[in-house]
This record gives sequence, structure tokens and C-alpha cells, in this order.
Amino acid sequence: MTQPEHAPYTVEETALIRKRQAARSRIMGVALVGLCILFFLITVVKVGVWG
Amino acid sequence: MTTAARDILMPAEWRDFWALTKPRVMSLVVFTALCGLLAAPGHIHPIIAFTAILCIALGAGACGALNQWYEADVDAKMARTSRRPLPAGRMDREAALHFGIGLAAFSVGIMGVAVNWLSAGLLAFSIFFYSIVYTIWLKPNTPQNIVIGGAAGAFPPVIGWAAVTGDVTLLPVLLFAIIFLWTPPHFWALALFMKTDYGAAGIPMLPNVKGQRVTRNQIFGYTFPMAGAAILPFFLGESGWLYGITSMLLSGIFLVLAFRVWQNEATDAAAMKPEKQLFAFSILYLFLLFALFAFDRMVIA
Repeated sequence: MTQPEHAPYTVEETALIRKRQAARSRIMGVALVGLCILFFLITVVKVGVWG
Repeated sequence: MTTAARDILMPAEWRDFWALTKPRVMSLVVFTALCGLLAAPGHIHPIIAFTAILCIALGAGACGALNQWYEADVDAKMARTSRRPLPAGRMDREAALHFGIGLAAFSVGIMGVAVNWLSAGLLAFSIFFYSIVYTIWLKPNTPQNIVIGGAAGAFPPVIGWAAVTGDVTLLPVLLFAIIFLWTPPHFWALALFMKTDYGAAGIPMLPNVKGQRVTRNQIFGYTFPMAGAAILPFFLGESGWLYGITSMLLSGIFLVLAFRVWQNEATDAAAMKPEKQLFAFSILYLFLLFALFAFDRMVIA
């Protein structure tokens, strides 16, 4: 397997990567929950539960 | 290893993905789409209306991402765009491409399933038109790029209308025409006082290729059919007096400002006050025109 060409990350860089990953995960989580709610509401409207 | 080389290996921040969507452009797209949706006759459930606007916003975001993916090298040459995520090295191009394609497919798919397939088809076509016809084909090759490319920005009110009615009639075509004819004076006014920047990037904007006199003639020339398209809904009986009078007033101010641009002979950006005033007013013009049209139509309804 080919190794990555960059040098190992420093402690500060690793912390920065984790911070960015965590922030992106939070945004993705919020977006997914929002979409779940939206799809549920679309389904309810489409099947005519609310008339 | 340089700092820049290390930066590119870092995962991009969520703010960079947000910046890829060109939020300010997206806000105008959402606004005009919402006006088209509110002005359309008929009823749409608020949840479906929200979904339609969300899909249009995501489609606009896809256009922004695909545009920045393709133009990363050009953006790096202009001061205005050099700090975007790709030219600044905060994101790799493949991520931008995947993000753009993902947003495009998702927005069109949801629009089709949740709203209707006509609006989904129009959304897909507008994304194709902006990303392929405008960004890849027209923009780097012809000084008329923003004239034909302006059609991509004119689609949102038509899509908003189609989301409600499931068809496209004369009135949404008029809304399309207003934005289509507004785009040349709006962008060429910007291109006049930003000429140096576009020139450095090798983009054939009209002032660089044909000169400032021709550009000023074209700006003034396009203002007349634009004003005509803006006033026409009133004379066709499709709007009330509120829109009729204000559209005439606003179009009159636009014509006066365009006339001052036509009169101006300045070649230095610092002396291009009429151009800057026209550019600033053009944004206000479109905002007020569409807001009043939607309000007027809702009052009539």
C-alpha cells in the first residue's frame, strides 16, 4: 500500500483536524435530522392526513 | 513541506462548503423564487412551498459550487475572488465537485418527488445552463457571456411559479424577461469599474473587449426593454395600481441612472460614480420590483 506523501501531523494539527471533523459532523447531524423531519412532513402532506 | 501544501491536506471547514454555495447570490435567487411562488395563482401547502424554495436554494448552491470548482484558477487571479476556499487552498477541487454534483442531484430529485416534475425539470435545466452553458462555454469565450448566461439567473421565479401551478404561462415568462434584461446593465455597470480585475483574469467582459463606450451604449440600450418588461404586467391587467405606479417610478429612476452612465466618459474607476450608483440601485430595483409584484398579486388574490 502506498503511504501518504505528507509528514505526520503535529499535535496542534491533529487537534485542528479533530475540531473541524467534529464541527462538520455536527452540521451534518443537524442537516440529517432536519431532512428526516421534512420528509416526514412531506409524507404526511402527500398522503393527505392534514386534508 | 510548505504551509500551503499542509493546509490542503486538512479537511475543509463547514464554512468553506457554505462559501462554495455563494450565499449572497443564493439569497437573491431564493427571494425571486419566493416572489414567483407567492405571485402564482392557486394554492400550495406551506410544507411543499418550503420544500420548493429549499430545493431552489440548494440548486443555486450547486451552481455556485460547480462554478467555483471550474473557475478556481481564474478566481485566484482576481482580488475579489482570490480568498474563496479553492484559490486560497482551503479545500481540494474534487471535494467541491462532489459537493456541487451532490447538491444538484439531491435538489432536483427532492423537487420532483415532493413538488412536481415540471419545476424539477426547470431546476435541472437552470443548473445545467449555469454550470455548462454559462460557466464552461460562454463566460471564457464571448463578451456576450452575461447576456445569454443571465437566463440562468432568470429561472428561479419561473420555477417558483411552476411549483404552485404545474405549468408556465405568460406572466412567469415576463418575470423571466425582467431578470434576463436586467442582468446586462447590472453586471456591465460592475464590469466597468471592476475592469482591471476581470482583465487580469482574462475574462472577456464587454468593457475589456469592445471598450467602455460600447458598454455604456449597451447598458442604456438594455434598460428600455427591461423597463418595458417590468411595466407590462400592469398593462396586461396582471397586477394592480400599486405595482403599476411603482414599477414605472423605479424603471424611470433606472433609466435616469443608465442615462448618466451613458453620458459619462470616465475611464478611471474612481470617476465612475454613475456606474457605481447604477449597480447599487439595480439590486434595490429588482428587490423592490419583485416584492411589490408578489404583494400586489397577493392583494388581488
